[in-house]
Amino acid sequence: MPELEGLNINAVKENFNAALKAVTNLAGLDDLRVRFTGKKGDLTLLLRSLGKLPAELRKEAGLELNKLRDEIENKIELARQKIRDAENEKKEIDERIDVTLPEKGRTAGAFHPVMQTMHEIVNIMQGLGYSVATGPEKEEEFYNFECLNVPSWHPARDMQDTFYFPDGTLLRTHTSPVQIRSMLKYGAPLRIICPGKVYRRDNDTTHSPMFNQMEGLLIDKNVPFSVMKGTMSEMLNAFFGRSLKYRFRASYFPFTEPSMELDIECVECSGHDEHCRVCHGTGWLEVVGMGMVHPNVIRAGKIDPEIYNGFAFGIGLDRMAMLKYGISDLRLLFDGNISYFMSGFNSGKSEEAGGSKSC
Amino acid sequence: MLVSWELLKNFIDIEPLDLTPEALAERLTFSGAEVEGITYTAGKIKGVVAARIDALEPHPTEKKYLVAHLNTGTGEHVCVTSATNVKKGDLVFYAGAGAVLPNGMELGTRDFHGVESFGMMLSAEELGLHDVDDPSGLLILPTDARPGDKAENLYHIGDVILDVSITPNRGDLLSILGMAREIKGLYPKSVLNTPEWLTPLKQDKEWPEEFGNISLPDKGCLCYRLGLATGAKMAPSPLTIKIDLAHLGMRPIINAVDVTNYVMMMLGQPLHAFDLNTLPAREITVRAAHENEKMMTLDGKERLLTEKDMLITSGGEAIALAGVMGGEQTGINDDTSTIVIESACFSPIRVGHTSRRLGINSEAAFRFSRTVDPNLSRTALLAATNLIKEWCGAEVDYRPLFAENEISEPKPVKLTRKKLSTYLSWDNMSEAEKILDGFGIKYIKGNNDEKIFMPPTSRPDITIEEDLIEEVGRFIGYNDVAEKLPGELPRRADIGMGMELSGFVRNSLIARGYTEVVTYSFLPEDFPEKLRLSSDDVRAKPLKIANPISRDQMAMRTTLLPGLLTGLKTAITSGWRDPVRIFEQGKIFLFDNTEIEHVAGILFNGADTRSPFDNRAENFYNIKADVEALIMSRGFVPVFKAGQEPFTHAGQTADIFVNKNKIGFVARLKPAIEQELDASGVYAFEIDLTLLANKNKPVFTPSSQFPASFRDISLLVSIDRSNDEVMKDISASVSEAAGNELTLEKLRLFDIYEGKGIPEGFRSLAYSLAYRSHDRTLKDEEVEQVHNNVRESLKRKGYVIR
Repeated sequence: MPELEGLNINAVKENFNAALKAVTNLAGLDDLRVRFTGKKGDLTLLLRSLGKLPAELRKEAGLELNKLRDEIENKIELARQKIRDAENEKKEIDERIDVTLPEKGRTAGAFHPVMQTMHEIVNIMQGLGYSVATGPEKEEEFYNFECLNVPSWHPARDMQDTFYFPDGTLLRTHTSPVQIRSMLKYGAPLRIICPGKVYRRDNDTTHSPMFNQMEGLLIDKNVPFSVMKGTMSEMLNAFFGRSLKYRFRASYFPFTEPSMELDIECVECSGHDEHCRVCHGTGWLEVVGMGMVHPNVIRAGKIDPEIYNGFAFGIGLDRMAMLKYGISDLRLLFDGNISYFMSGFNSGKSEEAGGSKSC
Repeated sequence: MLVSWELLKNFIDIEPLDLTPEALAERLTFSGAEVEGITYTAGKIKGVVAARIDALEPHPTEKKYLVAHLNTGTGEHVCVTSATNVKKGDLVFYAGAGAVLPNGMELGTRDFHGVESFGMMLSAEELGLHDVDDPSGLLILPTDARPGDKAENLYHIGDVILDVSITPNRGDLLSILGMAREIKGLYPKSVLNTPEWLTPLKQDKEWPEEFGNISLPDKGCLCYRLGLATGAKMAPSPLTIKIDLAHLGMRPIINAVDVTNYVMMMLGQPLHAFDLNTLPAREITVRAAHENEKMMTLDGKERLLTEKDMLITSGGEAIALAGVMGGEQTGINDDTSTIVIESACFSPIRVGHTSRRLGINSEAAFRFSRTVDPNLSRTALLAATNLIKEWCGAEVDYRPLFAENEISEPKPVKLTRKKLSTYLSWDNMSEAEKILDGFGIKYIKGNNDEKIFMPPTSRPDITIEEDLIEEVGRFIGYNDVAEKLPGELPRRADIGMGMELSGFVRNSLIARGYTEVVTYSFLPEDFPEKLRLSSDDVRAKPLKIANPISRDQMAMRTTLLPGLLTGLKTAITSGWRDPVRIFEQGKIFLFDNTEIEHVAGILFNGADTRSPFDNRAENFYNIKADVEALIMSRGFVPVFKAGQEPFTHAGQTADIFVNKNKIGFVARLKPAIEQELDASGVYAFEIDLTLLANKNKPVFTPSSQFPASFRDISLLVSIDRSNDEVMKDISASVSEAAGNELTLEKLRLFDIYEGKGIPEGFRSLAYSLAYRSHDRTLKDEEVEQVHNNVRESLKRKGYVIR
């Protein structure tokens, strides 16, 4: 086989290996591929000459040649991968940027702490089976006071200085009128919460003429105080995200009997700091007013207090928000000034970065 | 309500004997009477003692000083004073060198022009006693003071005062007696006492001059008593009494007046003392005022009355606004010697109405509106008579005059074991009976399942079973009751459309970079003018609060915009230079009493729009995108049409339509308003959320399996013609040209060009059209033909194709 000897398989293999070593880029690799496996490539020529071989040699030579072709193709593919990786690596280095430059376009918005608190508590209470009920903010004296066991002469009205309209209606002083409206609308049994704005004629660092409350009401048969207690602890623990100590103090609200106030352990110092700015060293925070619904109120809701009883509670959403988010002045919550919210709420983000955040 | 530890001793021997004021305060707080503070009235006092002035001589050189030689029982002390109200033999309080005053000041020795003075003699002020004595002179002690006795042990100087917050249902606690009864209830082993000044007197003498009837035509006066004292000498009250009154927050005046205040503080019965000779007639009538009747109260104000007010009159002349405030002319003066003491009881409803309407919160009105025990008037008159006899040296043996109307008696109240157990998870009926007894609520009859109790007249707040349960509950405390959750849910909890929408809106806008704010529902009265609203605009007629705190918070908002603009203004004023994107959702209030849920937002680029990238300024189209995203993600397709609001830019305002209803606007503000805000480029939107409350259920159409074909078209369009109109024309032309063969799946504006090569008054708009069929792959020629037809159709509509 003189012709074949001129195209020795081993020689082709060695030639290829030597040429591959010299290749540095994809173009060179392509040339190499054409030189060996192209239409007129060395290997292709060898393959074509196979037919001229005697049958007994053809089979063996064919296997050899196919093996070599696979080897060459694999090596070229591997080399292509390697070159591409090297090129991409360089591309990435060339395209490196300063990722600490400010973000482009808008930065995130921010929630209002009181609205956030409201939605959080609504979620918690929904899980406990409480539906949301609503009522008007411009309310009738009848629902705001009379039905709640507070006739016009009653000194309890001193507790709630009221904004009136010339037509004798008023801005609701609490969310409690929704208790009555809901009882009238849905009857018993009933489990509702009513979050919303309420208004009182008060304006100083601890009082705002407008603030946010959430009323809760459960009416059923033979409701014990222990259920109110369990509900309160469920709600507050879920909201603050940990198990809090709490205590009840007897108190008075015209629409509940018995009435009590709930104190929770100071969320700031847990009672360990006698100079605590939140609890002033008492270790306790007054957060919820509540009680078993007064029979007169149940009756005003056209439900028979001989059959049904229940409990109601009122929680100050602003105060809850202030406690959870460490806000000291109630009135700052309602001036619409973005700088307060952004610097107040996003500052955590920028602490590590060391720069203040734009928006 | 200030409660004196010393005065409590008049009525109660507290058991346990070692109970501290702090422990009592804690118990009171947990059982409903919150103690807000405890004051040790003697403060840091140390080493202040009574001393007698054995000698008093002028200072050798300085005329204005006197040199006193003081005897404290343990030695003689020299002390220089500039006071002029002392003489030899007087007893005073002396704080020697090293002694400490109540305010913590420590005294030393001082040289007064050659005379060494040790410490000082004290005035009442220096003892921390305001209004008790002339502040410029030394406090002269009664003659029975013993030199050497410590000040804090004398005259109640060293008292402990609890500041107790009394809830409106417990008018009975507005006295030392009431507090003593409460303490007896909380500490049942304590013993209640009757003070000496409640010892019955023999009072059977006729009045020296005849006094006519007491008539009570107004049933709001439950009872009315008059007592008489003659030959009374007006003088300051005993020192201890003056100090007691001062500790209770009352200014000591003169003995006869102090008696009434002292009895009121002790027993809770408001009294009124007047000079018999100033009474217009020898007759008293308590009647309803006439509509528009006028009266001058003793604070010098003329009061316009209504038929709901009650007057005490004499000879037809009003002398007091019953239970609220006395009149101007009948008061006690220094020459008074014949005193009439009025001890009456008035309906809480009537006094409550009058004091609330007139805004008079006198001690008397405060108590009467919280209910005063009608049985107290007799006891209080006896107390006052006894004390006037003692303090004023008066003759008091006269028979009191008396009249009464129907007085409602306490009614029995039932307590069942079932309800007690339901409420408190505790059902020890015999223990409950003992607890109630401690509070003066007496067991009448019953068995272990049901007992009947009679509350005392001092506890009108006890009328139903729950009231009894509360007495028991607050005694045993609520803290040991087990926690439970309710059983089966009554129904699926539904947070409601409004809450769901509110959550949706805030999440959507916060995600787009807006910050949520909450502003006041009331606005300055002139906000409609600021917004240039015309008088026929529904937003120009806000509801107005009849009793606002200020004019700035007076008109109920009819739009959320002013609150947001105030927020923006505040941010700018406070030096904020970054973009402002804020939104608020909440109610607006219209004149027809509707309350509508709105959302509004503003976008302002900030004073400094520089950025390391391209300029970060945004414009109308950015805020439009936010509004569109909000509405579309709710399942609705908004339509924007050129519009106008009184406060928006005439050329940059769009009305927003959903299902053909206008639901709001998105716009740039009027240049004049921007200038008022000192901000250029303020964009705003406001939307009525009513229509968005119901989510629109989207209709799903599967996307075509077959590829789309894209063609561009560029049109020369008059600038008067809006993009919206052009797009409608293109769509119409496609339908015309293609019929049902293929659809225009997407039509998108990708370029706007004005300027070189474009005639004046025109612009070039370039669109990309995506043709597609849902049942086959479109052939090129087919698309080409349709597109050509579209071009021809547009030409016929008057467009120039570029």
